[in-house]
Amino acid sequence: MKTDIDMSLVHDGHQWIVRHPTVKASGQDFSALDANLVHALRSNGQFPAGTSVNVFMGFDFDTIPTWLRQYASHYFNRYVSLEL
Amino acid sequence: MSMNRKWYSGMLTTEDWWAVWLGLIMLFAGLTSIWGVDLVGWMAKTQTWVWGDFSWQNVLKPSGYKEWHPLLSLFVTYLVFTALTCLGAWAMKLNVKKFFLGWTIIFLITWAVWIIGHEAHFKAHTHEFEKYGITWSLSLGGGFSYMLALLVGLIIGNFFKGFAAFLSEAAKPEWFIKTAIVYLGIKIGIMTMQDSSKTMELAIAGMGATFVAYLLFWPIVYTVARKIFRLSRAAAAVLSSGISICGVSAAIATAGAIRAKPILPVMVSVLIVVFAMVELVILPGFYTYISPDQPIVNGAAMGMTVKTDGADGAAGAILDELMRANAVNQFGIVWEEGWILSAAVMTKIWIDVFLGVWAFILALVWVYNVEQKTAGHSTVPVSEIWHRFPKFVVGYFVAWFIYLGIAMFLPDMIEAAKQGANIVQSPMRKMMFMLTFVSIGIITDFSKLKGMGRLTLLYAIALFLIIAPIAYIVAWIFHHGMMPPVVG
Repeated sequence: MKTDIDMSLVHDGHQWIVRHPTVKASGQDFSALDANLVHALRSNGQFPAGTSVNVFMGFDFDTIPTWLRQYASHYFNRYVSLEL
Repeated sequence: MSMNRKWYSGMLTTEDWWAVWLGLIMLFAGLTSIWGVDLVGWMAKTQTWVWGDFSWQNVLKPSGYKEWHPLLSLFVTYLVFTALTCLGAWAMKLNVKKFFLGWTIIFLITWAVWIIGHEAHFKAHTHEFEKYGITWSLSLGGGFSYMLALLVGLIIGNFFKGFAAFLSEAAKPEWFIKTAIVYLGIKIGIMTMQDSSKTMELAIAGMGATFVAYLLFWPIVYTVARKIFRLSRAAAAVLSSGISICGVSAAIATAGAIRAKPILPVMVSVLIVVFAMVELVILPGFYTYISPDQPIVNGAAMGMTVKTDGADGAAGAILDELMRANAVNQFGIVWEEGWILSAAVMTKIWIDVFLGVWAFILALVWVYNVEQKTAGHSTVPVSEIWHRFPKFVVGYFVAWFIYLGIAMFLPDMIEAAKQGANIVQSPMRKMMFMLTFVSIGIITDFSKLKGMGRLTLLYAIALFLIIAPIAYIVAWIFHHGMMPPVVG
């Protein structure tokens, strides 16, 4: 799936956090996360206002405890289309 | 950072893939026997011995290189598997020094226990008393080694916790059992060479039973969790998958599918790992006792009841040994080794294969119907199925179909192919099982159940009143009448 920006996704125990070298956003749930990411992308100026941006959020499996990683190697990825 | 972005993500960095690589390296090394080259004959194997008559020549021998001293064979076995596992540990970014030390200790414990377990008073069947010059034996076959390995692991894991923590870097039961299952694919291939209709019947029955059991387990446990135990929708879904499908991997897959906070599957997984040990300890003896004349039904039921691949493979191996030993004593017949284990593993493999599809469907339902609407439009890519697909299954089927192909298209080579295959699928596979038993004991800490009262109660009720009985009925419907071949 073609995307405009690839970000890593983690949960710090309180909120979801997405990171990219130039953009970072967080939120208690995905609704807040997506809304905050829209604000961050608008502020960043990387994409023109009014455009649709396809975002890949790959969960960073290194944040899963080491002892648990032998049972699975994937949590989930999100593909989100955001209107700036 | 570890993300699954491409189809080949994780090929060098996950234990799942490293089980495939360890499996295929030995598979192809074993295949060279077709051309008269023995690349696996260095593998050491245990022999039945009698107390008071200990010598290295009596307890060990090389699988192929007959002129070698047994200790040289054991040393080379250590070197080869240490090199391969340390390479894997390095690629997986584990602490290689800690892994090497832990692996070495686990390897030594494993072989010491394996040798002790082969003493005739523990292992020999009644018809072997004269051969070994003994008058009594527990007649537990190879099962005694497995149970002893588990006991030693559990003692370390629960009474020497600092030592267990030190070994934990190398105590990887899922890696070891998945590698063993790839080797088991060779065994299935050989079984197919001998009796293709029976093997295919086992595979198809296993698939059918798993599919039916799936449709029953999950909704029942989910309903109990929601209506009686009042769990949240997310907790009920994750716990239902963990209890009713295939343990930790199902709990993680479901939690991922419903976008749950990662702490939820971590908590549930603690519960699953400890309960899997309870199942592993209780069920093989229980099934052998209640239904000694239904070996394949028991094996299939085991696969659908015991959670996690490691515990299921281990339980299937014990069941195989106990039931065959019991058949010798009770019925005077010798069942061929591996069929009961294969029945247990076959249902588990189908569960693992279905898991990715199940999680994908659940993700679609959750994202499009349950999840709160967000500022963006979220989609669930089909690639999620592949990312959750258990890769060791690829190795299992490759091994199976290579030997099936030899049987179908190169029948003249069967005997030559069997020489290498028998070393990989027997002593190597059993060593990986033994490593699994020791490791699974080391990482199981029963004290972790403290403070999980309500979840523990739900798990126990669901397991013993819902999952186990339904699994047995479904296994009986699909497998009754199927028996392992009789030897001799």
